[in-house]
Amino acid sequence: MGSSIQRLDSNAEVPEEAFDVDVIDMDFHVNPLEEDLEPYIEDERALDRLTTEFGMWPIPDKWDAAYAIAEGNEGLFTQGRAEVAEDVYEACQKFAIDTPIVNCALNMLPQQHHPVLKNAVLEAGNSYMLDHFVDEDVPTALSIAKWDVDHALDELDRWGDEDGVVAAYSWFDPREPWGVEAFDPVFEKLESLGLPLLLHGSLAFWPQHSYVGDEMLTWTEVLGFDWPIYGMVNTVNMIMRGVFDRYPDLNVVFQEAGHWWIPFARYRMDEFYEMHPEDVQITPRKFEDGGHYLDRAPSEYLRDNIYVCTQPFALPRRAGEARGMLDLSMASDTFLYSSDWPHQTLDPPTWFFTSRAFRDDEELRDDILHDNAEEILRL
Amino acid sequence: MSDDTIAIGGDEYTRVAAVGDIESNRGIAVSVDGIEIAVFNADGEFYAISNRCAHQSAPMCKAGEKKINAEHTWTESRGGVNAEACTVSCPWHLWEWDLETGKNEASGQRIATFDVAVRDEDIFVRI
Repeated sequence: MGSSIQRLDSNAEVPEEAFDVDVIDMDFHVNPLEEDLEPYIEDERALDRLTTEFGMWPIPDKWDAAYAIAEGNEGLFTQGRAEVAEDVYEACQKFAIDTPIVNCALNMLPQQHHPVLKNAVLEAGNSYMLDHFVDEDVPTALSIAKWDVDHALDELDRWGDEDGVVAAYSWFDPREPWGVEAFDPVFEKLESLGLPLLLHGSLAFWPQHSYVGDEMLTWTEVLGFDWPIYGMVNTVNMIMRGVFDRYPDLNVVFQEAGHWWIPFARYRMDEFYEMHPEDVQITPRKFEDGGHYLDRAPSEYLRDNIYVCTQPFALPRRAGEARGMLDLSMASDTFLYSSDWPHQTLDPPTWFFTSRAFRDDEELRDDILHDNAEEILRL
Repeated sequence: MSDDTIAIGGDEYTRVAAVGDIESNRGIAVSVDGIEIAVFNADGEFYAISNRCAHQSAPMCKAGEKKINAEHTWTESRGGVNAEACTVSCPWHLWEWDLETGKNEASGQRIATFDVAVRDEDIFVRI
């Protein structure tokens, strides 16, 4: 008897079952060319300075992600470069992604020093996305400045109620955390618009120019752990400083901040708060509102108001261990699938169809792949 | 033994493709008796390895595929064959696999490799 031989059609790169389930990708990057953004810079003075000789000048880094990747900076574009809606559709088809939430990926902007110029570029990115994605019915997260609350509010006024804008996109970093009261007008506005706040890791703030940061020399330390640490710091800061007592309908999504730290934060926050709660009353929001304690246990805000993207999932191979981690992480309430296309850290939804942890629990799989996202996005 | 198989040194080899079916520095995927194999043409030398990357099961046969808007990136392809080094890098995360040994140096992991023979413009693989 002869061998069974078949030429495989490898157009689809993920298991066939993935195409039968709705997949919402919370972090799909679009990378317009600089020359495509320039026509959207409205202020002639800003455009002149941005196109004269040097453009914006970044704060120099001491470490570069490219050191860790065989192809250097090409790690940014391992899968290619989406510039218009058709590019996004082509990429999503390979990976069974039904609904990509696209963003302009101006993740280097916080690193720029000049406030006027970086606001001009941020606005241009949003205008580009409105023309090329929102108007093409691609659900889009538009950017707001963390460094300039008034500018963030202006931008939300400009496009915040546009159909097709499903979230606001900004950054977390080692500078002032998002629990600071100065951000309250942004939270109030987002709540009224029904938009979640997506906070992405920022290329701006490799943990340098500090004793610890200067000694971080590898990708594993910086991307693997520094970003999650600051995701955790921002989460705890927002919860303990009463953001969600004042804005209970605000949803915050951390992108590329890791996700397996949720059990640690969940139990540690409750333990520490319940034993030592008397300083909450002198945090500024509670002090102003006359509140003594948080309205709920810290872990309840983590469950209801905080979400984390799964890329890269790094699921334990043993299904029992994976199930335990997912349960402790309250994954059915807190996890959102993300691919991070087109970077080298791409995470196709393969896990959800190869691990028995999800084969045995399709409800949990659907929560992460689409139900949780549908609950918070303004789709 | 069928028309698709030949014996070499007492071992059975299965025909998987014609030489002209595989572009230089690209690969195709075939299933032989249910085993997924990627067959690569590295500057005219043919190699067969598992079609699934050990990291996250990416289809290795896609290594070398042209990127979306490749002209606006620094390299043309998603991973690819390095004929000189005799390696192929995964189209998803660039894990580099030795085409002869199936080894990834960084992790120490291996994926399966298969003996290949070329006879009269046909490529045969031993399972």
